Amino acid sequence: MNHEKLDSILEKTFRTEPGYRLSDGFAQKVTSRIVAKNQWMTDLYEYIYLSVLILFLIGVVAGTYYLVNKEVLLQIFKFISGNALQVAMVALILNFILFADRVLLRLLFRSLPQYLQRMGEKVDIQ
Amino acid sequence: MQHFSTDCCQTSSMDDAELINQILNGNMNAFTFLVSRYQKLVVHITGRLIQRQDELEDVCQEVFLKVYQNLGKYRNECKLSTWIATIAYNTSINYLRKFKKGDEVNPDDSAALRNLTDFNSGDYEKTDLHRYIREQIENLPVQYRTVLTLYHLEEFSYQEIEQITGMPEGTVKSYLFRAKALLKEKLKFVVDNNSLKTVKEINNES
Repeated sequence: MNHEKLDSILEKTFRTEPGYRLSDGFAQKVTSRIVAKNQWMTDLYEYIYLSVLILFLIGVVAGTYYLVNKEVLLQIFKFISGNALQVAMVALILNFILFADRVLLRLLFRSLPQYLQRMGEKVDIQ
Repeated sequence: MQHFSTDCCQTSSMDDAELINQILNGNMNAFTFLVSRYQKLVVHITGRLIQRQDELEDVCQEVFLKVYQNLGKYRNECKLSTWIATIAYNTSINYLRKFKKGDEVNPDDSAALRNLTDFNSGDYEKTDLHRYIREQIENLPVQYRTVLTLYHLEEFSYQEIEQITGMPEGTVKSYLFRAKALLKEKLKFVVDNNSLKTVKEINNES
């Protein structure tokens, strides 16, 4: 074999595809992952907007009572300050329920099938 | 934001600029098509660099996630393929730094030569030789594998490889030459005469 022949074999081999492969439907998987990520962000923003809206409405109601009937508002404040821990706990639980409903459960139901599928594929490869 | 239902037949005829426009307008079918169009490029670069089939899919997904996230910043200063190749290269290099031994920052040809295995077939067949060379490419230092893949397999120009890897054009040329020389060194017994330069000679020259 001469140099030219060896060179041509080398060049040809350099142009040969390496044996690395991606799974079928890889493009669709990537897109689904991005869609899921975008959806998670949308859910999170929705939760934040809702929380802000609820706080705003509480503020509006409190303001209205302040103008119309100050006495009721003072009683409410008195109740809250007298039961601060219980009120804080209830508020925290309600907030968590809202967060779970708007973000966590949606994320779980979206990600779990994909996660299980990926785990299955990894097991197949190994 | 996503329009999954739009017909994907339209996307197949789109050029890159139109494809990017569609993606930025929220057409996820266009993004799926972009991934299909460039996944070979990404898998070649990433595969050759990280050399792990089990991690390949995750790294490639990371590459395309970055492509999607940064598509708004893409300016037509270079070809889309060059831009995507840059992301694939950087992601793979970061992966190597994180999960593998520092790999060879400054390739040492003597060490690389030791890494290559001998071709022990007396009466070699062309296909065997072909397979042997392919295996040896995988044993080359990471920079050599990178430039070989980008230049020969993906047919990027020296300037484009410089853009992708950040290596000066001269270095790219040198790596290409030295990679070829290393392989030839191992294959010199198949050549009739002994005029092939050895790696030692090349190193002394440079």
